[in-house]
This record gives sequence, C-alpha cells and structure tokens, in this order.
Amino acid sequence: MSTPKADAIERIVEAFEMASALPEDMDLESPEMKALIEMMPESRRNTFLAMAKDPDVRKMSAVFNRCLGIYWRKLLSAKDEGKKVVFVPFNFAPEIFHALDMIPVCVEVLTTMALTLEEGIEPYLDLSVERGLPDTMCSAQRAVIGLFETGLLEKPDLLVNGALGSCDPNSKAFEYMAEKFNIPVLYLDIPFYHDKRALDYYAKGYKNIVKAIQEMTGAKLDVDRLREVVENTNRASELFFEINELKRNVPNPVPNYYNMHHTGMKLTMVGTPDAVEYYQTALDVSKDRFKRGKSVLPEERIRLLFLYTGYYFDNSIYSWFQEEMGVSYVMDVLTAFDFNPLIDTSSVDSMLYGLAEEMLNLPMTRQLKGGWDMPDNWLSDMLYYARTYKADCGVFTGHTACKQAWGVYRLVADELKRQLGIPSLRLEGDGWDSRITPMSVIKDQFEEFFATLL
Amino acid sequence: MSALETLAEVSATRLNSFVSKWKSQGKKVVGYVCTYLPEEILYAADILPYRITGKGAADTSLADSYLTRVNCTFSRCCLELAFSGQYDFLDGATFVNGCDHIRRAFDNWRSHQKALPFMYILPVPHLLSPEALVWYKEEVVKFKEAIEGHFGTTVDPQKLKEAVSTYNESRKLLRRLYDLQAGTEPPLKGSEVITVLSAGTAMPKGEFNTLLRKLLEEAGTRKRVPDKKTRLLVAGSVLDDAEFIENVEGLGALVVTDALCFGTRSFWDLTDETGDAFDALVNRYFNHVPCPRMAGEYPRRMAFLKEQAARAHVDGAILEHIKFCDLHGTDNALLKRDLEKAGIATLELERQYGPLADAGRLRTRIQAFLERIRR
Ligand code: SF4
Ligand code: SF4
Repeated sequence: MSTPKADAIERIVEAFEMASALPEDMDLESPEMKALIEMMPESRRNTFLAMAKDPDVRKMSAVFNRCLGIYWRKLLSAKDEGKKVVFVPFNFAPEIFHALDMIPVCVEVLTTMALTLEEGIEPYLDLSVERGLPDTMCSAQRAVIGLFETGLLEKPDLLVNGALGSCDPNSKAFEYMAEKFNIPVLYLDIPFYHDKRALDYYAKGYKNIVKAIQEMTGAKLDVDRLREVVENTNRASELFFEINELKRNVPNPVPNYYNMHHTGMKLTMVGTPDAVEYYQTALDVSKDRFKRGKSVLPEERIRLLFLYTGYYFDNSIYSWFQEEMGVSYVMDVLTAFDFNPLIDTSSVDSMLYGLAEEMLNLPMTRQLKGGWDMPDNWLSDMLYYARTYKADCGVFTGHTACKQAWGVYRLVADELKRQLGIPSLRLEGDGWDSRITPMSVIKDQFEEFFATLL
Repeated sequence: MSALETLAEVSATRLNSFVSKWKSQGKKVVGYVCTYLPEEILYAADILPYRITGKGAADTSLADSYLTRVNCTFSRCCLELAFSGQYDFLDGATFVNGCDHIRRAFDNWRSHQKALPFMYILPVPHLLSPEALVWYKEEVVKFKEAIEGHFGTTVDPQKLKEAVSTYNESRKLLRRLYDLQAGTEPPLKGSEVITVLSAGTAMPKGEFNTLLRKLLEEAGTRKRVPDKKTRLLVAGSVLDDAEFIENVEGLGALVVTDALCFGTRSFWDLTDETGDAFDALVNRYFNHVPCPRMAGEYPRRMAFLKEQAARAHVDGAILEHIKFCDLHGTDNALLKRDLEKAGIATLELERQYGPLADAGRLRTRIQAFLERIRR
C-alpha cells in the first residue's frame, strides 16, 4: 500500500472537530457545502448526510462529535501530559480508566472512527493479513492491527481484554497485538454462567485487574474520584433508561441514528460529564419529537430489531430506514443496556462490584458467553427486547467473524418465530469492511424482506 | 495381528470391537471432545470415555444448516456425525467450551432430536489464575456429581487412584514411543503414530496400554524408516486423521513429533500420584500444556514447541490450522515468526478437515517447503 501521510488519530480528530464545527443552521444546498460533500469518499459522504440532513439528528450529533473530538484530542497530548493510554475491547467499561486519569480507547470504536480517514480502513485490514493475521479474524480489531503495522497509530501503554469466553477472535486479537508489538496486556475471564457465583468470580477478576493496572502504571485509585465517575455513570444510565422508555411507544420517536451514538458514547465516555450531556441532549430531542408526534417517514411501518451487530461502514442505511422505508430501528444487541445496574456508591468495593456487574451485562459478554438458551443469554435477551420494544422482525447482519453468533443464529431465529411469531432475515457481510457486501446489495436484501412483511 | 494393525483397525472403525465388547457388558460410553476434560473421572465410574471427532464424515449437509460455513470443518463434521446418528451408540456426550465453534456444536446437538440422554458441558476458564483454578475445580466436582446422578454410579476414590495410574501409564508409554521416534531411524511413520493416538481415545485405556506395550516390543524388530527423510514437527488445529500426515510423508518427509491436542499436548504431563487423586487430576488438567484458548500462555506454548523440535531433531515445522480456526490461526502466525527467529524453518498452512480437505492444493506448497529445507 502507498503510505498515507499523517498520524491516524490526528486525522480522525480533525474530522470530528470539523463535523462538530458545522453551524446548526447549515444549508446543505449552499455551494460551499456542496463542494465539501463532493470531496468526501462515498461511504463517508453517506454517513455525513445521514447525520446532517435531519436537524434532530444533527443536534445530538453536534454534542456527540464535539465531546468525542475533545476526547480524542487528549490522546494526542497524552504522552506530554504523562497520561497512560489503554486499549480495550467493546465489552470493557471505560469508567475505571477515567477514574484513574488514564485514557481508554475502545478498539472497535477506534476502527469505526478510522472509517473517516480518506483512505478508508481497507488498506489496514489487508495489511494485517499480509503480515500474518488470518483473514477470518474480526475486522473491528484487524484495522487497528494494520494501523500498528504502518506506524500510523501509536502503541498504547497497556492492553486490557475482557472477551475471554465470549469471542475467540477478539481475545486472540489482543494476544496477537501484545505479542507482536510488545505491549503489556491484562485479561479478564468471563464466566460461562450468569448467576451470583459467576458475578462474584468475574468481580474478583475485575478487582485483580484494577489492582494490576495500578501496580503497572503507578496510578492510584481515589475513592472520591471513583465516586464522581460512577455517579456520572448512574446519571447516564437513568437518562438512557428514559430514552428507552420512549422507544417503547408506537410510533417510536427516537431517531434511528441515535443507536450508533448511544453505543459509541457508552463505550468511550460514560463516567464523564460529557456523556451525561450527550444523553441529556438525546433525551430532550426524543421527548420533543414525541410531543410533536415525529417518528420515521412516511409512517412507522416496521419495527426492526438487530439480533447482533449493525453496520458501521455506511450509516446512511439508518436514515434510509428512517426517511424512506418507514422502518424504526428499535434496538440492537450493541445498544441493549437495559440490564445495566445502578451502582451503589457507598464504598470502593461496592463501586468496583457494581462496575463488574455492569460489564457482565455489556453486549457480547452477556449474550454470547455460555449457551444460547441459558438465562440472561442471547435467546432470553432477544425475546425480551422483541417483546419490550414491540419488534415486528429481526435481522442478523451476519458479520463474518462472529462465529459464535453464526453458530446458533438459526436456533435463536427459530425460537423467535415459534414463541413470538417474529420472522428474521439473515444477511452475510461485514460491519466494517464495505467490500464483503456492498451497501447497495444490503439495501436490496432489506427491501425484499420488508416487502414480505407489509 | 500386530499391535499396530489392531490399533489401526480401532482407529478406522467408529463402533470398534473394544467399544462393542464394553457395551455388551452393560457398561456405558460417554463422548468427550477436549483435553481439558478429566477422563479419569468417567473411567473410574466404569464409563468409557470416547473422544468425539469428525473423522469419516462424507459431507456436512445436515450440520451446515445449523453450524454455518464460517464455522470450522472439524466442528461441522462432528455435528454431522451426531445428526446422522453415527454417535447414537454413545450414552452421553460431555463437551468443554474449548472454542466458539465447538461450544456451538454442543448447543446445536443438545437442542436437536439427536441429543443423547446425557448432554453436559464443563466450562473451563480461559486464564490460569488461582481463582480460575478454584472455578475449574468446582466445575469438575459438578461434573462428577452429574455423572453419578445420571448414571446412578459413584466415583470411588480408590478407583479414581487406579484410573489416574492407568492413564499415567498410558502417557509414559506414549512418551517412550515418542522417544523412539525422536531417535535416528524412527520405527513408525508419523501417520502411523496419529493412528495409534486416535485409537487410544476410542478404547479402554487398560487395553490400550497392553497394545502399546506390545507395539513398543514390536518396534524393536520393525524395519526402521530410513534416516534420509526430512524430519518434521506438526502443530496446530485438531488433527486425528492420518491422511494429512500421509500426504506430507508421501513427499519425502517424516513427521517425528508434534504439538497437537491428539498428540503430545494431551499426554506430555503426568498426574501427581502422591496426594489426593481428585485434586491432582484437577491440577494436571488445568495446568497441562496450554491450548491457544488459554490467554496469556503464548510464551509457554512457544517454549513447548521449541522443546519438542529440539528433542526430535527436526529440520522444520508445519503449522496447520483449519480455516476459521482463529485460535490456532493466530497462534500459528506468532509461532512462525518465533520459530524462524530460532532457526527452525516453518511452513504455515490453512487447511480443511474431512470431506473438504484439499490435498492437491496443499501438496505444491509442502513440496516447495521440503525442497527449501531438505538436508
Ligand atoms: S463478537 Fe463479532 S463483532 Fe464482536 S469482536 Fe467478536 S467477532 Fe468481532
Ligand atoms: S479446529 Fe479450531 S475452531 Fe475447530 S474446534 Fe478445534 S479449536 Fe475450535
């Protein structure tokens, strides 16, 4: 591949800052705007327009992009300020790092952000494979590995993985990064079950990790700082519970685009006041839409539940659902935080235990560990979300790397049909790599499926 | 019949004569899939542990509508045999959450009309920490109780001690065989060793030991494989089918050792026979040469591979992985880098298991590799 110019993070930050600097009353038809949009690569343009077209979405996005821009900028000055950077997967909650004044980077969110790079992530996906990684590994981590290979992404001070037992590709990607690029790593084992014994085991492992991080980095956990962070988390949880309440309405007033933002925020900044501000904005926008009777266009015809991952390489699909298809995207597993606990802040111990409980209920950990039909696992969650959010159908996007999900998709889909009469669509593709199934093909398949429901 | 011929017959027949004899005595047979299952517990309960594999599956059409094309062909072949009734002779199956594919094979089998009367999964942690050892021990206790409850038997401590000793004997005999293979002029071909190993997982260990002893005696008088062949180590995804090794050896190589879960990784470590047998078993299985599923243990796996390579004086190593097997595929990429650094020529191969195996495609690459390293 030809080597791009500058540091990846720097360019990602620029993109976010640019997006957040757009005026609220922006005119997409103005010649300057048109020229800017024209310059963007297709998937980036689609994603941008999806965000920019709808003033409600734009309001949420402005806060989201601003907060995230500031957050990622911190990464650029981390070394100078003596702050440690730690890379985690999407099922490791960021709060503990905020409390320790470290900067957590969720690898999957980073890959999603890297989609804004003008060269896209494809060259990095390919490079990771050229240098040895199997191409059957998950693109959400492969892009980051490819970026490490080029030197366009600085190595973090530490890796912490918590995917053991729920996703082999994810755990192995971290081991690979650690061994290949010589980065210290810590692992958290996920128990097979979801009961008190399992939570105690998991919380013990989590506390060991918190201790090890302090020993390795010299950071010290301060109870007041931890409480501040956890209180922010609790506040954020209350807000997104309220948003989820609104989602139960038919029609659903919460914009489809919200789902992506919700997850992005939860996986990076929850525990900070910025995350509270974002969820508050999203709630205000949703409440206002509810009052105005606004939902998807032309009217809510279908309520869709994503059975596992969504698509990240081109977000225009969500506005297409919203503005053309009359499809309300009510929930997906990665946005599914209904089982998030409100954490007891009385002591360090209770807070760490609460954070562990939060993590045991994070996407992937909760649904994809253990057996498919065990309590608090994939099937039970899908039945719950389908019922609670009144879904009419389900879709499994078929991200190639999720072998554990593919392996029981059929059982889950059959039960959804049998118990709730809900049909499901199974697609094949990749959440991040646009080459596996192009968006135009994905949309065709959706359209055919929706036609069978109406 | 020579011992090797008998073992080859056992390896080639799913419901072999030893299993039939065992069943005809009214005794039970329980399938298992992984090296993290302490088989001795079954054996002590007078239940025959029988390792489930996908060997002999002609296609995977039944399995494919549940486990899909992104699941490894080994797990699909296992499920195919289960769905097509070829494991109906088992009284139960015990899986371990070894990897994402095999635990889903279990989920599908358990949920299918072909589910056996006893379907059990023993969850093994993915870390070797003190807390994980406690968890694992609790799970092994639960497993023992489940066996006792379902089959109405008890695992007598004395019988457990005896089982530990029989299994250790087996491991020691296999190590003797591997010592012979490590020398100049090994008595067996690598493909024959795989056959012996696979037979050992499909018959009572006591009788296997008798045959192994006989095999070792016969090895002394056997015509040796000449030393001019290129000596190889094979490591990677599950491999119990002699065909892959036969193909490699057909090109002028000799596989003299391995780091496979049907091979050294399953028998290299012994169980301590001095203390409490149950605790010793738990320790042995938990800490045995780690599978790539065990996080943070890459350095140990690397060291084990190097040790095997040095012991058997290999000229090179083949690191194979079944397509979609991310555990071994990722490990192999790292192992290749480190083995080459250590001066051991290495070939990395992605392959398929069972009916999809494509010997022709691999042949050219293996040939080129052998030419590169030929002494
Ligand atoms: S669960 Fe799927 S999307 Fe998530 S890390 Fe694993 S393979 Fe990737
Ligand atoms: S070959 Fe790999 S993917 Fe298949 S069952 Fe074994 S460890 Fe799992």
